Amino acid sequence: MDPQLLNDIAVAAAMGLVGAVVFAAIGLVSGTDETTTLAPLTLLVVLLGVPPAGVFTFFLAGAVAKHMTHAVPTALLGIPGDTLATPLLQDANMLRKLGVPHIALRKMVSGAIVAAFVAVPLAVLFAVMLAPFGAAITKTAPWIFLAAALLIAYFSAGRWASVALLVPFVVVIIALQALTAKYDVKLSISYFLGIAIGPLIADLFTVIAPAGRQRMLRDQVRQFNLAPDVKGWSGYFPNPFKVMDRVQTRWTLITATISSATFVFSPVAMTVVLGELVGSRIKHAYHRLTTVLSARNGVTEATYIAEALIPLIAFGLPLSPVAAGPAAPLFNAPPRFTVDAATGQTHNLHNLLNHWEFLGYGMLAVLLAAVVSYPFAMNFARRAALFVSRRVSHEAIIATFVGLIIVISVWEGQLLGLLVILTMGLLGGLLSRNFGFNTGVQFMGYYTAVLSVPAIVKLF
Amino acid sequence: MATRDPAGWRLAEVWGDTVDLRHLAWSIAIGIGISVTGFFLASRWLATVVASQQLAHAYAMLAGLAGCVAAGVICARAFPPKREVTEQDTSTDPAWRREVLEELAAQPGGLGSVADLPPAVVQELKELKLYDLFVQNAQAAPSTQTQTQTAAAGRAPR
Repeated sequence: MDPQLLNDIAVAAAMGLVGAVVFAAIGLVSGTDETTTLAPLTLLVVLLGVPPAGVFTFFLAGAVAKHMTHAVPTALLGIPGDTLATPLLQDANMLRKLGVPHIALRKMVSGAIVAAFVAVPLAVLFAVMLAPFGAAITKTAPWIFLAAALLIAYFSAGRWASVALLVPFVVVIIALQALTAKYDVKLSISYFLGIAIGPLIADLFTVIAPAGRQRMLRDQVRQFNLAPDVKGWSGYFPNPFKVMDRVQTRWTLITATISSATFVFSPVAMTVVLGELVGSRIKHAYHRLTTVLSARNGVTEATYIAEALIPLIAFGLPLSPVAAGPAAPLFNAPPRFTVDAATGQTHNLHNLLNHWEFLGYGMLAVLLAAVVSYPFAMNFARRAALFVSRRVSHEAIIATFVGLIIVISVWEGQLLGLLVILTMGLLGGLLSRNFGFNTGVQFMGYYTAVLSVPAIVKLF
Repeated sequence: MATRDPAGWRLAEVWGDTVDLRHLAWSIAIGIGISVTGFFLASRWLATVVASQQLAHAYAMLAGLAGCVAAGVICARAFPPKREVTEQDTSTDPAWRREVLEELAAQPGGLGSVADLPPAVVQELKELKLYDLFVQNAQAAPSTQTQTQTAAAGRAPR
């Protein structure tokens, strides 16, 4: 074997293992949104000069591992592990109240592992099919981003309000860019991190104001009940095909396939819609709960994998909500990876890895995540959930994220970076809370400002 | 420093969970203080040691992120969580079960009949001791639902 290839594989395996371990742990902590955790850590890996194969495997192993362990707080404590776990909460809660939360957990984690393994080859296949149109799409990228932004806005909770809100939101981004350009500073990470962490920034501003604080005050601490766990198998690595029955495996495969193909839609929306589709086909209530949970958590994996892989392999442009958010550093991490706004020229993982490498390292990432996260979630879920809920205070999580915002923004643009992240975070958080103008739409708004607006201006 | 005594807490819900306002203020101060100090000290020091300026800049960010994690650990040790975690076995709570069965019956698909289930799922339900619960409730026509649910609830704990 070629020693260079061998070296690449070794680096990829090591980075993938790091990603899987780190994000399996992060998945246990509720409220750790994918974008706020995956994006900065992947960015760091890029900027430290890790080879392309290592960067890619790190990101994917992390994403897959997190979407297995996010089932732990969701099933056992009744609090969503992250944004994509929210659609799973209702069904998981019902199983918890029936006294069988461990069943909810096992079905979810098994659905995730099965879906992840089929999603990678499918995503690569779809990307290869789309690749011939890559050149045409790159050329018309500004208009495609505009159309995607409008579409994603309409399908968000805010509907027409979100479509209309794109205008002022984009204007603010352009204004901030003009401001920083005066000092020869060009920022990108501060914008999307600000958007991702917006709800926290908006909440912190609100709690300082006396009127806002009144609304947020609580009389007592939050109550959780951690249900007992029952181990239903022997050994360390339970067989997912035995945890799920045949109907569940079939639906998980079907929904994983559908969500691997539909890469432009919001992952949360896909999880909700495909779950409803499955639920309408299952007659018995208990079977419906468990099957929908398996399929839904499978979709959280498949849609993430496809939404990151397809745009990356086929176009090199961040043309999906995941690619524009959590996976953004794979596309755009100046000075190492760049997307040129004016010409649509790219220099990123799209140019640095070929189709076979994407497939190989993709499967390696899923395998590593499966080896780390799957048995961990299956065997130690209860102990881990107890540790996090009794030892890690919410203040500690907020302290970490506030530090993160400041370090990344100051690192990127000194004082200007800090001003941009505060402004974007406050605006984005308030719009998301009050109008359902969610972070996915906001990311597309950012790309509209960067790519579409210059093209529109050129028309006049 | 802020109090560890629950009686002195001023609780508020911020970013999806409860915090004490004074602990929150301290946490933010600690989070910003440690991470920014780490970042600036590291960038000063690295600028003199590492040849490539770009790499020095990236490592400084790593130091800043390490500072964030350190701040998180310090705050986790200093400030206890504002959650109460109980470990009850709710599988014997008839009120919760009744609530869930009502919710499930109200769904578009309804409760359904155990006759529709594949054998593997029947086995699973029996192992979980939920089989009888579903059989009893499914047999009940919607008109007698309240009555049978009380009966089922009485029989449920085993």
